Amino acid sequence: MAIVLLPAVLAAEAGGQKRFELDAATVGEALHQLPVRNLLFDEAGELRRLINVFVDGIDVRGGRLLEEPIRPESEVRVVGAVAGG
Amino acid sequence: MGVLLPIGTRKGLFLLRSDDRETWEVEGPLLEGWAVYHAVVDPRDGTLHACTNNPVYGATVHRSADGGETWERAEELGLPEDGELKLNATWHIEPGRDSELWLGGDPGVLFRSDDGGRTWQLNRALFEHPTRERWQPGAGGMCTHSIQLVGGAIYVAISAAGAFRSDDGGESWTPINKSVAAEFMPDPYPEVGQCVHKLLVHPQRPERLWQQNHCGVYRSDDRGDTWERLDKNGLPTSFGFPLALDPEDPDVAYVIPEQSQEHHYTADGRLGVYRTADGGASWELAASGLPERAWVAVLREGLAFDGDGIYFGTQSGSVWTSPRGKTQWTEAVRDLPPILSVEAAPA
Repeated sequence: MAIVLLPAVLAAEAGGQKRFELDAATVGEALHQLPVRNLLFDEAGELRRLINVFVDGIDVRGGRLLEEPIRPESEVRVVGAVAGG
Repeated sequence: MGVLLPIGTRKGLFLLRSDDRETWEVEGPLLEGWAVYHAVVDPRDGTLHACTNNPVYGATVHRSADGGETWERAEELGLPEDGELKLNATWHIEPGRDSELWLGGDPGVLFRSDDGGRTWQLNRALFEHPTRERWQPGAGGMCTHSIQLVGGAIYVAISAAGAFRSDDGGESWTPINKSVAAEFMPDPYPEVGQCVHKLLVHPQRPERLWQQNHCGVYRSDDRGDTWERLDKNGLPTSFGFPLALDPEDPDVAYVIPEQSQEHHYTADGRLGVYRTADGGASWELAASGLPERAWVAVLREGLAFDGDGIYFGTQSGSVWTSPRGKTQWTEAVRDLPPILSVEAAPA
């Protein structure tokens, strides 16, 4: 089971849960199982521009992003871009 | 009767409560992490609704049936998947005539919910309005910020598209911008493209509309078919954002002018609320109790009224209140985050 970790705002929107254990083969499959998926994806189904995803410490925006494969022991960390005040 | 003021701020929602309108209890921040562009208590069932926006996680709305203790987020809200436009922000929620809710957003869009805010349906007639290509965003985006349901009509106002009226429940929309200036356009009196900052309809006189515009303050006595410009009758400037009325006197209105379209702070370096009691034929400074030297900003949703008082919040985090009619201001609370919206509800 891969682990998905959410930042504080998303965890609050998920009823206070910040850690999820999910069966998923890719980043996209994992994120779509989350109860906050409509905050991660816009109406066109695209990952919102300022959301970054790290798999085992690697920023997958520089890779295949949603198609990035994950292993059962992977840690997927969702990180909102640091911006604004 | 006590009053509850939902205060939307850039850093969440605060609830101000008072039994006597002199001492205030402050609860918050609620909805931490969200900028609350507007929040309102639905008078039909007491549900709190909030337009919530986050630069990372997008635009949505939250609702609470238990006074802000727990919140639920809209499940379905957005623009058509196959289109080029995306929902950039949610700006204003208005309880409807029956059980429905209305929601205004950026880019110049209107939604309706018939299930208490769980799902939202796009108003296609406004979305596909034949004049849309002539609309353009103001500094705050192309926001549908005013929604009024009075006398069988629905009114919306969009910055910078102008004001529109529907007489068929939202099936079609007529521009109502005749003789309203758009001085920033090549044609200063176009059919659409006016930058309305706030539009209100008087609840007791449904043919009477008021608007604070980018280019002046206006009143209409024929449901928006024609407008009379009023800011030359004693206001220090033509520019400003918020607007308030008196629920029992259609001739009374309040505005808070700003220095200019380039300089968004209160006019003449003072926090000046201006009041008319004659339909805008004249204006008087109604600022007793307010600081005489101040450069603050009150945004378009930042001024509210009810049958007992007037309330406004500043970008510098103060909430000021005055009894209705007397116009004697006191500071209810200070040092909140930048205030985006103020509403008033019985408590």
